[in-house]
Amino acid sequence: MLQVENLVAGYGKVQVLHGISIAVPQGKLVTLIGSNGAGKTTTLRAVSGMIEPSAGTIRLGGDNITGLPSHRITQRGLAHSPEGRRVFPTQSVTDNLLLGAFPRLTGSRPKGDTGADLEKMFELFPRLKERREQLAGTLSGGEQQMLAMARALMLNPDVLLLDEPSMGLAPKLVEEVFSTIARLKERKTTMLLVEQFAAAALEVADFGYVMENGRISASGPSAQLRNDPAVKAAYLGAAH
Amino acid sequence: MQVLAQLIVSGVTVGMIYAVIAFGYQLTFATSKTLNFGQGDALMLGALVGLTTINFLIGLSLGTFAAYLLMLPIVFIFGLIQGSVVEFLGVRQAIKTKSEAGWIMATIALGIIFKNVAENIWGRDALRFPSPLPEASLDVNGVRIQPMEIAIVLGALGLMIAVEIFNRRSIYGKAVVATANDRDAAGLMGIDTRLVITFSYALSSMAAAFAGVLVAPVTLTGATMGAALGLKAFAVAIIGGLSSGIGLIVGGLILGVTENLTGYYISSGYKDVPGLVLLLLVLSLKPAGLFGKTAIKKV
Repeated sequence: MLQVENLVAGYGKVQVLHGISIAVPQGKLVTLIGSNGAGKTTTLRAVSGMIEPSAGTIRLGGDNITGLPSHRITQRGLAHSPEGRRVFPTQSVTDNLLLGAFPRLTGSRPKGDTGADLEKMFELFPRLKERREQLAGTLSGGEQQMLAMARALMLNPDVLLLDEPSMGLAPKLVEEVFSTIARLKERKTTMLLVEQFAAAALEVADFGYVMENGRISASGPSAQLRNDPAVKAAYLGAAH
Repeated sequence: MQVLAQLIVSGVTVGMIYAVIAFGYQLTFATSKTLNFGQGDALMLGALVGLTTINFLIGLSLGTFAAYLLMLPIVFIFGLIQGSVVEFLGVRQAIKTKSEAGWIMATIALGIIFKNVAENIWGRDALRFPSPLPEASLDVNGVRIQPMEIAIVLGALGLMIAVEIFNRRSIYGKAVVATANDRDAAGLMGIDTRLVITFSYALSSMAAAFAGVLVAPVTLTGATMGAALGLKAFAVAIIGGLSSGIGLIVGGLILGVTENLTGYYISSGYKDVPGLVLLLLVLSLKPAGLFGKTAIKKV
């Protein structure tokens, strides 16, 4: 569904990614793990058009989307729940969710039933339902994370990018986030998940990629990565 | 007492005009953190285009009131186009290259060009703008109020409320607010934020053009009418805060009324001083404006 080949990207003159290749098959959950500064977030930003790649190709459902501006990529069905949540603080929870469906509401993507999808999101994230009229800026960190994920899902995306959905959350909420991801996986949502909790991410994912200094250092089915001694030592800790 | 009330009434009228122009500054600042310093010239062009249109319509033997109403949509469309041109020529490149000051010079330059063009088309003399409402003043407890002054206050409020409703109710308006909140995140929602910025410039000039045809019947029209209004509205935007709608109205009223009071009780030569002193006070004591939220630029 999503294919990244030899992606090179960075910020200004600083090159961060030195040729990344990742494949996310339809209906699968793929995770990208690695230490801070390895280039995980930059990879997602380049895929969704927030920064322009300097080389390589990105294909979404077979179409070349390399170098398109982010709104065009979103209109083609790729949703990105960015690092740091980035909800719209002065707008209500409901309005944030409607904005997630902007391409559907304005004719650049099939409309479907946005009202029903809104209700579905409230079912998936009951906390958001209680707070539907509240301004997003007044939500707690965990609630904002739920909102960011729900907002991305409102696109009815073909592919969902999730950047560090557990960042800055209390352990109990981290569990909740992962169980939500597991539920989305059951619904066959195609996902690329970037996580710092490598063990939990590999637990839930089908495939994994390990990033180091802007390159992929290991990849494979996540069960296999979990037992890889090098990955174990570097990212999973001795306990695993 | 009657003199005071009279001064306040005319101060409120001019204050509302300041508020509408300042509202235009706010629209573009919200989405792009840039301003059109040619906002006064957008007002002037709107008024002059309105003048030519209304005279043409009156020439077709329409009544002044009907001609004025028919003229409004034409002035609105002209303002939208003029604002888009300013954004395209003066601002887009500066935003793209993240230039801190390019847009300042560019919008000032465009304003001067517009003024020159207007001088060549409409001449340098002040022209009379036909008033759509009776020019005889109403007498309210000894205070004289021109019907057009009431129209100015209502028109100004109407425009600001209409834009506010658009922003809150329609998905396109929500997209504008989202762009103002967080441009990158808005892009991820599938919103073409560059188009939103062009639109905010278009709307900003439309507001100025509307202010131009509102104020024209009570003042005179001419190529130089915009400069002082644009500058004072900028002061209002700073006093009220670039993020607060209420702030603009309060700021506009404060400036409009103090100008009139100073002009009458002290000297018309000092008319502009209190407003500018207030501007300096606000900048040194509460830089985000009386109603603005304090924003500290992270470096």
